[in-house]
Amino acid sequence: MDSRSKRNRLLSWLLPLLAALALPWLFRSNQYNLMLLTTVLLYGVLATAWNIIGGMAGQFDLAAGGYLGLGAYTAGTLLLRWNITPWLGMIAGGIVAVGFAVLVGYPLFRFKVREVWYALSSAALVSVLRVVFLMWENIGGPTERYLPFHQFSLYHLRFGSYIPFYYIMLLFLASALLASAWIRNRKLGYHLLALGDNEDAAEVLGVDARTCKLKALMIYAFIIGAVGGVYACLYGFLHPNFFSSSLSLEVSILGIVGGLGITYGPLLASILLVSARELLRASLGGQLESLYLGIYSIVLILIALFRPQGIASFIRVLAARLRSRPSRSRV
Amino acid sequence: MQSIIQNILNGTMMGCVYALIALGLSLIFGVMNIVNFAHGEYVMLSMYFTFWIGSLWGIDAVATPLITFPLLFLFGLVTYYLVIHRTLRQKYVTQIAVTVGLMTLLRAVAQIIWKAQPRALPYSVIQGNFVLGDYTIMLSRLVSALASVASILLVHLFLSRTWPGRAIRAASDDLDAASLAGVNYAWTYALAFGLGSALTAVAGGVLMAFQQVDPTMGLRFGLLSFCILALAGLGSTLGLLISGVIVGIAESLAMGLWDPRARSLVVYLIFVVVLWLRPRGLFGRK
Repeated sequence: MDSRSKRNRLLSWLLPLLAALALPWLFRSNQYNLMLLTTVLLYGVLATAWNIIGGMAGQFDLAAGGYLGLGAYTAGTLLLRWNITPWLGMIAGGIVAVGFAVLVGYPLFRFKVREVWYALSSAALVSVLRVVFLMWENIGGPTERYLPFHQFSLYHLRFGSYIPFYYIMLLFLASALLASAWIRNRKLGYHLLALGDNEDAAEVLGVDARTCKLKALMIYAFIIGAVGGVYACLYGFLHPNFFSSSLSLEVSILGIVGGLGITYGPLLASILLVSARELLRASLGGQLESLYLGIYSIVLILIALFRPQGIASFIRVLAARLRSRPSRSRV
Repeated sequence: MQSIIQNILNGTMMGCVYALIALGLSLIFGVMNIVNFAHGEYVMLSMYFTFWIGSLWGIDAVATPLITFPLLFLFGLVTYYLVIHRTLRQKYVTQIAVTVGLMTLLRAVAQIIWKAQPRALPYSVIQGNFVLGDYTIMLSRLVSALASVASILLVHLFLSRTWPGRAIRAASDDLDAASLAGVNYAWTYALAFGLGSALTAVAGGVLMAFQQVDPTMGLRFGLLSFCILALAGLGSTLGLLISGVIVGIAESLAMGLWDPRARSLVVYLIFVVVLWLRPRGLFGRK
């Protein structure tokens, strides 16, 4: 029985991994589909990282766009100014994002800014960063800064096709999922989940809320900042609009719809909602550009009201039913 | 020096309108402890309603609140009973998620109906400037500031002198005690939400007298009124007005003396610093 459940467990992540590895090969003839897949993965990474601060720790963070932009500008500027490879730039971007997160998060948690006020101040930070980079002509400025084009250069992380980006994103997604699952089964994860459930009660029981939340914020910021480097190379330019409040909103929506605190939930939501968004965009064109936003919102409201555990809970119910059927027949 | 005073004058006038917007938010937050993320979107919506009424029937922007006020009140009631009502006993994440969903939904609807380009009304009866020594004052801004202050005063009288108003204040102080004294909380909540949304109609009307509207401007008004609310704290109408004026002046000075793009920067910085240093606000009593 034990070996069987172990085998099931292995299959439950091995099969999706194999499928994910094979997907680009299926769609290799169509760059649009590859872009769609890469975008889904990108949002999967962002939402999975958000889940650590938003889902586990229960801090409604709306600054994903800020960390993404910081990472993108760090990696992009290192490449443009000193020709430093974005592979290092990513790490630098992650570190810059973490630095900013600590700078902002420490006082926020220190002064017990939480719940709605945390959400609002993090949303405000994205707008602050956007304006700062608009006005900071040396690094940002209102015009796009294009990264040098290469048909295929691993060093510059520039490719003429989406396939390499897809695999890089997949790598990021796997790391983000692993990080999230790893934290969840450690002391930090239990503390975070307790905080997300009831902050006062957790503190009474001896959870150091300030440190735990700061750690969660740092991990989240690092992942998103590092992805920012790929983000810049994927789009091939830098622009202050990377500090996007709508992207931050979208990431948090995916996290909630997917299922707060459930490792694979946000990925599931990204697969469903982001591909739905891109398909709608492709089929309706610019005519109803914002229809997807409306659909997102309605899904969000319905899920939040009627299924606060998110769509991942459907999978859980399904898995439980599948598991219980054979055992019942045996009894 | 002259430009500083001119900017302070402009900022004071805008600040009064901001305070009116924040008053609606503060009513809702004070009573049911829910921050309505969609509040800025209500302002955007009432500006569009003003635009519609103004361009279809030729009614002056400043007079449209007569129509949009009941409209937004109804709209507030509908959203309260459809959505907000169900979140009252939920965790705060659900409450944020629902109002954030409402915010993006309204923005999407506005983009679908009115498209992305900014809209403005062609004329308003109140136009032109008058000169006061070295300074010029735009008549439309002065009128909207006065209308906002008058509305704030009316709301203050309503809250302190009438029974439903007192019920709202009692419910925000202590719901259980208020219930014992005969306050029907369901009605009070609905009334507060309706009134909070309806106040944006006045703001939307006077704003359309000199501004244009586009579907993305809701978030700006939203964050602006959160900032004012954080600065003022709960429970003091005068404090709200003063905070609105402070924010208005800061924004105007940043625009005039530094860089037009810095307007939001200053507002958000005030917001973040206030949250850090004075979580109860400058005038809060809770």
